[in-house]
Amino acid sequence: MSAENQTSGLGGLVGQSVARVEDQRLLTGNGSYVADIDPPGVLHAAFLRSPFAHARIEAIDIGAARRARGVVAVFTGADIERTTHPFPPFLMMPGLYTPLYHALSVDKVRMVGDPVALVIAESRHLAEDALELIEVDYEPLPPVATIAQALAHGSEPLWEKADGNLLYDHTDTFGDVDAVFASADRVITERLSCQRQSNQPMETRGSVIEVDPATGHLTIHNATQSTHMLRWITAALTGKQSAATSLKDFLTNKQRRGAFVSAAREFVSANAESLKKQDNAGPAAQLKKDRSFVGHANRIGLGLLGKDDYPTVMARDIGGGFGSKGSIAREDVALAAAAIELGRSVKWIEDRVENLTDGGQAREEMITVSIAVDNDGSMRAMRADLVVDQGAYPGFPVGAPLTTRIMMVMFPGSYRFEAFEIRSRVVATNKGKYIPYRGPWANETWARERMIDIVARQLGMSPAEVRLRNMIDEADMPTAMVTGPTIDETMSTKRTLERALELVDLDAFEEQRVEAAAVGHQLGIGIASYHEAAPGPPDYWDSVNPGTSMMTFEDARTTVEADGSVLIYTQQMPHGQSHETTYAQVAADELGVRLEDVELVYGNTDRTPFGIAGTGGSRGGPLGGGAVKYSAREVRRKVVEKAAKLLEAAADDIEIVDGNIHVAGVPSRGLSYAEVASAAAAESGDPSSAPFDETTTYRGHGDGGWSTATHVCFVDIDLETGLVKIPRYLVVEDCGPVINPAIVDGQVRGGVAQGIGAVLYENSAYDDAGNVQATTYMDYLIPTAMEIPDIEVHHIETLSAGENDFRGVGEGGMIGAPAAITNAVEDALAPLGARVTEQYLPPTRILELAGVIDPD
Amino acid sequence: MSTIPIDGAATVTFTVNGASVATEVETRRMLSDVIREDVGLTGTHLGCEHGVCGACTVLIDGQPARSCLMLAVQADGADITTIEGLADGDRLHAVQQAMHDSHSFQCAFCAPGFLMSTVALLAENPNPTRDQIRAELSGNLCRCTGYQSIIAGVETAVELLARSGGGERGGA
Ligand code: FES
Ligand code: FES
Repeated sequence: MSAENQTSGLGGLVGQSVARVEDQRLLTGNGSYVADIDPPGVLHAAFLRSPFAHARIEAIDIGAARRARGVVAVFTGADIERTTHPFPPFLMMPGLYTPLYHALSVDKVRMVGDPVALVIAESRHLAEDALELIEVDYEPLPPVATIAQALAHGSEPLWEKADGNLLYDHTDTFGDVDAVFASADRVITERLSCQRQSNQPMETRGSVIEVDPATGHLTIHNATQSTHMLRWITAALTGKQSAATSLKDFLTNKQRRGAFVSAAREFVSANAESLKKQDNAGPAAQLKKDRSFVGHANRIGLGLLGKDDYPTVMARDIGGGFGSKGSIAREDVALAAAAIELGRSVKWIEDRVENLTDGGQAREEMITVSIAVDNDGSMRAMRADLVVDQGAYPGFPVGAPLTTRIMMVMFPGSYRFEAFEIRSRVVATNKGKYIPYRGPWANETWARERMIDIVARQLGMSPAEVRLRNMIDEADMPTAMVTGPTIDETMSTKRTLERALELVDLDAFEEQRVEAAAVGHQLGIGIASYHEAAPGPPDYWDSVNPGTSMMTFEDARTTVEADGSVLIYTQQMPHGQSHETTYAQVAADELGVRLEDVELVYGNTDRTPFGIAGTGGSRGGPLGGGAVKYSAREVRRKVVEKAAKLLEAAADDIEIVDGNIHVAGVPSRGLSYAEVASAAAAESGDPSSAPFDETTTYRGHGDGGWSTATHVCFVDIDLETGLVKIPRYLVVEDCGPVINPAIVDGQVRGGVAQGIGAVLYENSAYDDAGNVQATTYMDYLIPTAMEIPDIEVHHIETLSAGENDFRGVGEGGMIGAPAAITNAVEDALAPLGARVTEQYLPPTRILELAGVIDPD
Repeated sequence: MSTIPIDGAATVTFTVNGASVATEVETRRMLSDVIREDVGLTGTHLGCEHGVCGACTVLIDGQPARSCLMLAVQADGADITTIEGLADGDRLHAVQQAMHDSHSFQCAFCAPGFLMSTVALLAENPNPTRDQIRAELSGNLCRCTGYQSIIAGVETAVELLARSGGGERGGA
């Protein structure tokens, strides 16, 4: 830290539960969510969706629908194929085949709810009326409804070019696994499974494509977690034309050509190291199966170069996402294509049935784990066999394959293992598409932490004892996970566990257990501990997949306008995380101004810095917050420099308190930001640009590190009803310095609530024919205030050597909860002989496990 | 012409946040759609349109109702309060203030429903127990918060209202 920053007189907003800036509009009904946007003359869209899980489309008759009242146009897969490119493989990896697919299905449907036609009409009602007039002739195919069916030889392939329904198969080995397994005292193996779940933000997806009638420019209002990603993917996939035409457009547009060449140079030089690490085996694996990508990629690339105008993407308020709005929806592309073709604005707001069917599902995984362990409780090596059910379409950009990579790296958790091996497979089935859901890799924690309890029970040790014995602690540091990433002092999992154990009274609990059993209740306690990359050490992403570390960059821009107001620009797209408050806290402290002097600019690709990652992956605090901090700090330095000149003082003597910039000890002769900024503006003579304007790129390298936590769950199970109550739930977490404790606690509690839902209530069930069973909130049970208990959140703040020490906290609650809860359930039911191997434990399953009722 | 029968239309008259509204609506349209699209008050949200999430809750003659389940024509003659009707200019209603003070919401898509349900709950029972609050609000779903901050907001509202002599309870 420079001397200047040490005297910056941090305003002390960071660390306070400052009340939310967002609330004034959101609590009064004045928010602006996508459904609230109504451009003049907007048309309304509705999608016709497949009633079959797997079928060939033989014919579609849209004649009657086209003629129906209020209908302006009807698009089918054939129209979309003519005007758009298919979704390309986003990440090509060794062992992976990514099928290409269009925004509407062309000749085959692969899931119930698969969009096959799009009606555009004067109102949503009329669009839906017309759906009923479309006649589709389907030729049903055998459905593939389960992982087992997908793996079975001869299952009907969803994708012609794939080897059956196995799309990814890759094994990673670290250390001499065979030798350690052979030398360990015993090997304990269990097969674990997790049901399909769904993110279910309270606001569904939606898009309003606004077309400027004069220029044709698109402004896309969308409930998206990443505005820039949506902008470029929409630009890339729409406006299909021949490569020759694109090439001509590009070559005749000198300005565009120059801009492209310099942008490409800049990108390559900034990411040279990362690009060097990328592996050609990935593209080779894709091309071996399917060469069509090459042609599409060329035309997409040339198409982008040939365009003079790209869409603007805007978003203001978003009603939650939990990962689901980070995916580019097929609907988004179909709607943009329709709006372009019609030259008219188009609006679509998904309904809940659509969202439960095609809004994204997650976590259906089967994991067999073996742990080689010595009789003293030392876990020495682990083997895992993971199969992920990707459903019908690969999530875009992040889907199951990348998730398996993160699971691979994180699987060993905070424990010392001598060796580890994991086989990861991804299969295609006729079900909703697998997308990232809050802590997408979380089942590595669930499986490992479940296994540790199983190991402890078999060895006759306590689960806490086995964890403590094997956990990496400060004496081991610095070290590395067996899978690669560096472990530094921020990996404080063991401290969170020790603190958690101090907070519970196990003796008193054992007494309560006996008392409860006398009245037909089984009590249990479960622990789960983990660390997560938020953002992770510099070598984290390259351990996941070589060459991906370039995705972790994040820009922020800070300006001081001539009137002294401060604007912070971010590519982050908040959807509940309260960035307007937390970033203002960070910037106000750096600049020495009040919270209300700072305004956050987000959700507008014309104004915000580029970045495709948006908000997700617990990046908002460490990367976004880090970039804000550094850009504000740089602006402060320049402001101080300028003020020093005006005050005829040395910069080192300047301090800023409540926006008063003055020589230390002489506040009465201070200057305001407005005075310094207007002086700077007068000097520059350029009224169009802000007198102070700094953009900082934060690469997530060097600072930050791991977030850690331990969850402890107590359960009380009624053997009469199978209902599981949670009398106490506590989390000890460490995300470094907390920017806003109330907001952090809210993130943790919200995540735990979703974990409770995952174990006890939520199931995106399908029948044997691939029919989705849970299409309303009567079937897909979101827990209410009656089911979610108070959740205690305790903080530890481990500081690292880096200057930007904020670490992410968005996902952790959901990562730890399923393991803690299922461990508690097994602890409660173990005296009755139960072994919990599934994540989903509704009352009937609890009663089966307890031996009260017979399975099926 | 279409083969689809055109639904009938009817004129409905009601008040929304004190202002009278008279409008012709297709009989099949829901009250929520008319409030959002015709009256132009978009604070009332639609989370499920099948009566489970409670995001669309408004007060009809002081009673909470799911506007997504009610046909607009059924509201003829009613006195409707929406989220936009709670604050008095820039001054937040006590329940809004309490929810702000308690960091109750995150994305706040669910907030209009919770706020309206809470106003109705406290009008009926100014001093609910925590269990009563949980039970009464169990018809509103929130996916972000885990509810604890919302329950805390209701408890803060109870205090604010008690301090102000309950005078603001009738804000709805
Ligand atoms: S929208 Fe009315 S209850 Fe969900
Ligand atoms: S705050 Fe997001 S649904 Fe309640």
